[in-house]
Amino acid sequence: MTAVVRPVGGSEVFPDRATRSTAGSRAATGGRPAFGAMGALSVFGFFVALLAMASLHSVLVNGQFEFDSLQDRLEYGQQRSQVLREEVARLESPSRILSAATGRLGMTPPPNRLYLPAVVPGDPLHPLPTPSENPFSLRVR
Amino acid sequence: MLVGLIFMVLSGLLGWRLVELQIMEPDRYLERGLAQRIHTVTLPAARGAIVDRNGVDLALSVPRQSVVANPGMIDDPAGAAMALAGVLGTDIQVLEERLSSQRSFVYLDRQVDDEIADRAMALDLSGVYTQPESARLRPGDGSALALLGRTDIDNNGISGLELVYDNLLSGTNGEMIVEAGLGGSTIPGGEYRVEPAEQGLSLVLTIDRALQFEAERLLVDGVEAAGGKGGTLVAMSPITGEVLASATVTRGDDEVVRPSTEHKVATWTFEPGSIMKPLTMSAVLETGTAAPDTVREVPGNVFVHDADFKDSFPHGIEEWSVADILRQSSNVGTILWAQDLGEEALYRQLLDYGLGAVTDLGFPGEARGILTPVGKWSGTSLPTIAIGQGVSATPIQMLTAFATLANDGRRPAPTLVRGSLDDGGVFTPIQVAEQIEVVSPGIARSVVSMMEAVVSDGTGTRGQVPGYRIAGKTGTAWKPLAKGGYGEDKDEIRYVASFAGFLPAEAPELVILVVVDEPARKTYSGGRAAAPIFSDYAQFAVRQLRIPSEFERTGLDQVGRVMATTPARASDLQAAEEAALSGIG
Repeated sequence: MTAVVRPVGGSEVFPDRATRSTAGSRAATGGRPAFGAMGALSVFGFFVALLAMASLHSVLVNGQFEFDSLQDRLEYGQQRSQVLREEVARLESPSRILSAATGRLGMTPPPNRLYLPAVVPGDPLHPLPTPSENPFSLRVR
Repeated sequence: MLVGLIFMVLSGLLGWRLVELQIMEPDRYLERGLAQRIHTVTLPAARGAIVDRNGVDLALSVPRQSVVANPGMIDDPAGAAMALAGVLGTDIQVLEERLSSQRSFVYLDRQVDDEIADRAMALDLSGVYTQPESARLRPGDGSALALLGRTDIDNNGISGLELVYDNLLSGTNGEMIVEAGLGGSTIPGGEYRVEPAEQGLSLVLTIDRALQFEAERLLVDGVEAAGGKGGTLVAMSPITGEVLASATVTRGDDEVVRPSTEHKVATWTFEPGSIMKPLTMSAVLETGTAAPDTVREVPGNVFVHDADFKDSFPHGIEEWSVADILRQSSNVGTILWAQDLGEEALYRQLLDYGLGAVTDLGFPGEARGILTPVGKWSGTSLPTIAIGQGVSATPIQMLTAFATLANDGRRPAPTLVRGSLDDGGVFTPIQVAEQIEVVSPGIARSVVSMMEAVVSDGTGTRGQVPGYRIAGKTGTAWKPLAKGGYGEDKDEIRYVASFAGFLPAEAPELVILVVVDEPARKTYSGGRAAAPIFSDYAQFAVRQLRIPSEFERTGLDQVGRVMATTPARASDLQAAEEAALSGIG
């Protein structure tokens, strides 16, 4: 911050020695805080940059972690889906249903199969006979 | 001074070493560092599933754990073996031998349930760990096993469709190159390249799981009831050639009949017997040798070359039409017409039906059967081949021949696979061979009509299905003996009973062949041993496939609508349609 004094009227007036020395010492003392401030600013900036980088890295690490975690979950989900798919197919398989029916549920296959005719009940052309007694009765009709 | 000198020398050495490491040979250490951080992980391609025509899983791969060990890290193999034996259910000696091995990697048990793997890990044995693998499972247990085939422990197809379509099902493994830290976590911004695995495609079969299961169940019961040695049942759509069910059962050494592991529908041959007669008669009609109502005298026996051929029932000289001959399954009548037809014409016709050549099924080990060229025929070849002896065919060949008759004389290419399905659910149909016209549609319908009489009023009445018109033919063939010939006395003769038929006869949608190998003497005929199985199976199949009965079909035809209604409903629809039309008018 060096001040330049200009005379009124435009003529250049040179400062005397005292004045010059005062100005010189002012320049010397005024430069030190300026350098200090710049230094401090640089250090501050450096640390801010470091912090920013650290934050960025942290975000990156976090993102990578999330990505890895999602991939693991995806893989687990796919494996689980295969396991469940197999279980559904096994539970639905006719052989399992038959063994459950005849085993755990104690059902027995009928001696003869009776397929119901594909006629809507109440059809005037081919009415189904009305059950005359309890169809689930054990009595032989 | 001395200390300073030593310090300087040490510093110099250290400096030199640094220069050596950092400047002169940095690559070696860079590579070592990279090798520690960069991991190449194989991304295994999942083997595609095999599904039925409705998308139901018949075979699929599921993740399983294998229990493995590094024997070098195990201090007490005997103790570890004892602890693991209880969990894995493996013999202690075997485990101890593996754990004492000099190798750095051994399998202790492969593809075990997660629960077992967890219990093995809970033992906390150093050097014992688990490794993920993929196991091939069939949710329907042994159903369609002969057809589906097997894979080895490494998921490579070794038999059946698993083998035929191994390339399609397998896919291609991928690879992931990743830079990872000490704990295995990925280093952000590091090396990361992924070559994704190409997953195996799923194979969509023409088989219907319910039809397949019922075919096996009814065949087991039927063969048991007939006292047979084994049997096959195969069902097909005559329009498309798609095989809907293909079952083979066999009686084991323990006298129990159970599904076979061999797909005999394609690999086993038999002399068809009388189910050959519709094919012979179609040639007679196609060449104009006779018409269905052409009558001729049929004696009780006929002597050809050096052999006397008789009918299965005694009779005098009868005047029978071609239709009567087929209905009665007369050997003599068929032979007489075949003689008029001639060897070459019969041979050509049977070739056209697909006999003597492998089908388009493409099944491994498929047999071609035996149809000797005319030049090598003996004096008795014509009469024997005309009635289905002295010629052999696979069940799928005979079924295809009957499908030809059901399909207005056009021979469909039998197929077990509809196509493939990728990960995204995109279906790619398989290329199917074109149909070949074997006989004209009119001739095919005439033969079908004659075959209807076989079921309504002939040898195949046990093959009837209530509500449906059935066209079929019974077959009771003599089985050739290993020593040659068919046997001299009754105790020596073995039979193969069969029934081939389709329904509804007026518009066939389903063709079924049932063969019972070596039925007991009391039920040795095709009409007794095989036709009842056909009937039981067809009753189930028409419901599963939603094939309307004659009664339902008639109701529908009145208004020209597509199925699923009744005459009452149809008349309602017709009335509504008429009302609507009169409103417009």
